[in-house]
Amino acid sequence: MNKVMEFLERWLLPVAEKLNNNRYLTALRDGFMVALPVIIFGSIFVVIANFPFLDRLLGEEAYAAYQNALGPASAATLSLMGLFVIVGIGYKLTEHYGGQAIYGGVVAIASFLILTPQTVEKVTGAIPTSSLGAQGLFLGIFTAIISAELYRFFINKNWVIKMPAGVPEAVSRSFSSLIPIGLTLTVFLLVRILFSYTPYETVQNFIYTVIQQPLTKLGSGLGATIVAVILIQIFWFFGLHGQIIVNTVFDPIWYALNDENFQAFQAGRELPNVITKQFIDTFLVGMGGSGMTLAVVILIFLIGRSRQVKELGKLGGPPGIFNVNEPITFGLPIILNPLALIPWILAPVVVTVITYFAMASGLVPKPAGIIVPWTTPIGISGFLATGNAWQGAVLQIFNLLVVMAIWWPFLKIIDKSYYEKENKPSE
Amino acid sequence: MKRILLACSSGMSTSLLVSKMREVAEQKGIEAEIWAVGNEKAEKEMEKADVLLIGPQMRFLKKKLEKKAEEIGIKVDVIDPVAYGRMDGEKVFHQALELINK
Repeated sequence: MNKVMEFLERWLLPVAEKLNNNRYLTALRDGFMVALPVIIFGSIFVVIANFPFLDRLLGEEAYAAYQNALGPASAATLSLMGLFVIVGIGYKLTEHYGGQAIYGGVVAIASFLILTPQTVEKVTGAIPTSSLGAQGLFLGIFTAIISAELYRFFINKNWVIKMPAGVPEAVSRSFSSLIPIGLTLTVFLLVRILFSYTPYETVQNFIYTVIQQPLTKLGSGLGATIVAVILIQIFWFFGLHGQIIVNTVFDPIWYALNDENFQAFQAGRELPNVITKQFIDTFLVGMGGSGMTLAVVILIFLIGRSRQVKELGKLGGPPGIFNVNEPITFGLPIILNPLALIPWILAPVVVTVITYFAMASGLVPKPAGIIVPWTTPIGISGFLATGNAWQGAVLQIFNLLVVMAIWWPFLKIIDKSYYEKENKPSE
Repeated sequence: MKRILLACSSGMSTSLLVSKMREVAEQKGIEAEIWAVGNEKAEKEMEKADVLLIGPQMRFLKKKLEKKAEEIGIKVDVIDPVAYGRMDGEKVFHQALELINK
């Protein structure tokens, strides 16, 4: 067993280091972080606009007016998520290189807009909002990274406009960012023109059909999701933060799927995806943290006998309600504990399968694309994530019971071993 | 005045530890400023710290953060996983003081 541990440790830690120290993946993750407050603001207003029973309470007309009044809050934020992520990536990557980060953000957004369609059904001077949201997400990510790289490249070339002597230094400096920005944007303009001669017509269309669609299709499957879940659990088993590591790869896909659902939800169409950002955050991680250890805390209160385990329950309970579970993972411990390995990996996979089929069959509404902060307690988060559906909360409670059942025998063994140690008569 | 910075994924679980460590510092009458941040802020925040302790689940950040720490001349280490699980403020506080005095 020790050999296996050593081998995996030697292999997993470098993977985690690589993924986390990769400047593009780090910028990507931080970019999403930049966009998050705006996304959550929009989500809150979707929830308020869709409170249950309001339609009956207010009457149809007043309800429509109410929804119209609140609509712009999410239309300007959640629907345009791509824009904010792009600014974040451009900013963070340029900051990483030690450049003027704000220009990195501006260049990224301008480059993206250059590549974006600028007509809507033959009306010029209009940018389709759909291309600024989920549909443009992948293009946006690539554009932000490439534009920040180009900007840095041109800065390093140090091509500047020479001002005649006597021009104040501040004036000549104001021109110094002009050339790098101008050249970067010119490159993207050329790319746009080139693509207009291809059958795809726009870069956006090209990236969407060739990269984004196949990837999101793959990521929306049950198989890929189970693989992601198992990877998260294995990383955590070795004491490494599984989501941080795996999400850097999966987040673009999960957010894109999430936004597809949101567009459909707003339009009153059938929601296309079960697997979304919220599927993971609310129904898997959102039950006391990764590995759904809130169930373990409850079990401790039900069957715990040893002092050590009971103390842990008190320590891990309050943060567990808000989905913070390091006291449990490191304290039980789950990490590197062979007795915990089976329920630790099995429970999330079982819950993934249950949740998937509950939603695919229509028993429980699919996630509506609303981003719920990950610290939201169970019950509330399931209700909000499914667009104010009580079934979402019920499913969470049901899943919690399933996890408790899976953990029961294993926690009993762990607890017993502590209990025996504590009560061994000292020699 | 000892300035101790803790960092984890979003500064949530380390903030649990922060309150325990503050209690210990107060009991011992040691003046200390202890606070927790998410990993993306760690690099900036450590400029204000005497020592940086990383949550064990983020230990893959150590190498990256060490570079910056060397530049500004402070020590970085990973919090002992057992002490982390028990939220053992005393042990981690000592770990921090030892690193500062090294």
